[in-house]
Amino acid sequence: MIERVLALALLAASGVYVANAWMLPMGTAARPGAGSYPLAVGVFGGIVALAWVVLALRRAPAAPDLESADVLPAQPWDAAAGRRVAITAGLLIAFCWLLPLAGYPIAAFLFVALLLRGLNAGWAPAALIALLTAAVSHYAFGTLLGVPLPAGALFG
Amino acid sequence: MGPIDGLIYGFGIALQPTNLFACFVGVLIGTVVGILPGIGPVGAMALLLPSTFAMQPATAIIMLAGIYYGAMYGGSTTSILVNVPGEAASVVTALDGYQMTKRGRAGAALAVAGVGSFVAGTVGVVGIVLAASWLADQALRFGPPEYFAMAAAGLMLLSRLSGGSVMHGLLMVAIGLALGTVGMEPISAVRRFTFGSTQLSQGIELVPVIMGLFGVAEVLLIAESGIRRAHIQSVKLRELMPTRAEWRRSAAPIARGSVVGFVTGLVPGPATVLATFISYALERRVSKHPEEFGKGAIEGVAGPEAANNGATAGAMVPLLSLGIPFSPATAILLGALVISGIQPGPLLISQRPEVFWGVVASMYVGNAILLILNLPLVGVFVSVLRLPQHVLATLVLLLCLVGAFSLNNSQLDLWVLVVFGIFGYGLRKLAIDPSPLVVALVLGPIMEKTLRQALFMERGDVLSLVGRPLTATLLGLGLLALVGPPLTRLLRGRRHRPLETAR
Repeated sequence: MIERVLALALLAASGVYVANAWMLPMGTAARPGAGSYPLAVGVFGGIVALAWVVLALRRAPAAPDLESADVLPAQPWDAAAGRRVAITAGLLIAFCWLLPLAGYPIAAFLFVALLLRGLNAGWAPAALIALLTAAVSHYAFGTLLGVPLPAGALFG
Repeated sequence: MGPIDGLIYGFGIALQPTNLFACFVGVLIGTVVGILPGIGPVGAMALLLPSTFAMQPATAIIMLAGIYYGAMYGGSTTSILVNVPGEAASVVTALDGYQMTKRGRAGAALAVAGVGSFVAGTVGVVGIVLAASWLADQALRFGPPEYFAMAAAGLMLLSRLSGGSVMHGLLMVAIGLALGTVGMEPISAVRRFTFGSTQLSQGIELVPVIMGLFGVAEVLLIAESGIRRAHIQSVKLRELMPTRAEWRRSAAPIARGSVVGFVTGLVPGPATVLATFISYALERRVSKHPEEFGKGAIEGVAGPEAANNGATAGAMVPLLSLGIPFSPATAILLGALVISGIQPGPLLISQRPEVFWGVVASMYVGNAILLILNLPLVGVFVSVLRLPQHVLATLVLLLCLVGAFSLNNSQLDLWVLVVFGIFGYGLRKLAIDPSPLVVALVLGPIMEKTLRQALFMERGDVLSLVGRPLTATLLGLGLLALVGPPLTRLLRGRRHRPLETAR
């Protein structure tokens, strides 16, 4: 199922890519423009993605009961494992969103504390490690290495 | 400068205190990331790339290369002692290495792996000196068509050899090439696929892509598998000495593994991993006791361990002589060279001898440091596994996030990291190797530039472009690698079908 969705998404993406490449200057064979190489890459990618879609769809009826989760799952779905992955991915996205708003120290503290908690650490050790990590990394990167870590729009 | 003079000059560079320290730090970090499941050498190199911006070019490459080959030592330690390969190139070592540990011969396995890696490193240095010098001389005659053909053939071969199906490999190549076209086009300054974003005009940075695909994706897999505690076997120093019979049995596999590894390293693909499998299969075939393999045969440790180290040396040849990387790790080294203002290619040896010879000599110095460090301190290194995995995984993620941001102080790099981390996790779940994507992202702009130059040279005549002898040979080999195996299967199937029908 995942394979078919991904194959179709990539086919659609290559369509969008080719359409955008088409609008770029093409030049001539002796003096290719900015769009000629991307067009070739897009067509190549589209052909491979199309082949993948065809194969993924043709494979489906051969083993319907192995791939269809409601008949017989290929692997038993571990809800706890899925939850841990979702928490980690969600926190990564939240960090990117929060960093310019709340600034590095708060974003780092919340990221580490919530991730450790999500990976089954207790609240107290998670908070302590998060506090230490946020402080040490802010000092190491911000002060020692001179990386201009965002202070956060909320704090001016 | 001849090879001997060059090496002497290189040792002078590598043994300078700064470079020696960089080499030490590199191999130490390499050993630790090799031990730890989660972040591999590629992720660690990407993570540390920003820290090398202020270094001299030779120092930066010496440190990053140290991580690359140092990880091969670290990976073998955990494979042998706890049956947990720290990275893919040590999976084969676990087959017999862990069996030796169960029989009380862990020390011997570690010593043979260490010495094997050192010998392979030595053979590798000689190989680089000979092969890279020769190839660089030849490459001076290459024009844009040959460079384009080399990069294209490399990608075709990489699609075939990287794990999973050819179609998945080609798809990764297409995505990498497409990502390489994002940003300001260098000749006419046209903005491509930027969708109005000024940040995207600079293009997509290689480092957050690699950190995402190889660092974040690995941590997501750790998060999925949950926290595991490894049972760690302790090894005493006096147990490290193999018996005379064990040395005798290991000598030839180490020699064969070194050569197999170096040659495999020259070929585009996951060289360090492939080399171990080829070496293991070879040793089992030539062994008088193939039945012992999988039950603790020392040849099954000696050969593959030499091979993965030899492959790291072989992989440096196309990078140092042609400026073309064929693996994610060498792509990072290329990135470090470019950031330092060095144009890698056949002129590197003559124009920047301190980089070429310094790096080559440092690989020998690094291997010696690794041998000295790894055997007596094996217990200390393995105790790294006692660190709580969830804390380690969280710290790795935070380092990836800050590292990606610090590249350009850009929010875009953070999003690239996260998107490619989640994408990389999805690829792992589908058993698709992301290496071709990374290499294509690096080679894409080179291919576009050389193709446009070549077409200009040939006045737009594609046939005369592909008709040049070397170009035709390289493209032919690449195509053969792609369509050869399925064509052979098809022909074989046709030959067998009439027989089956007759039956």
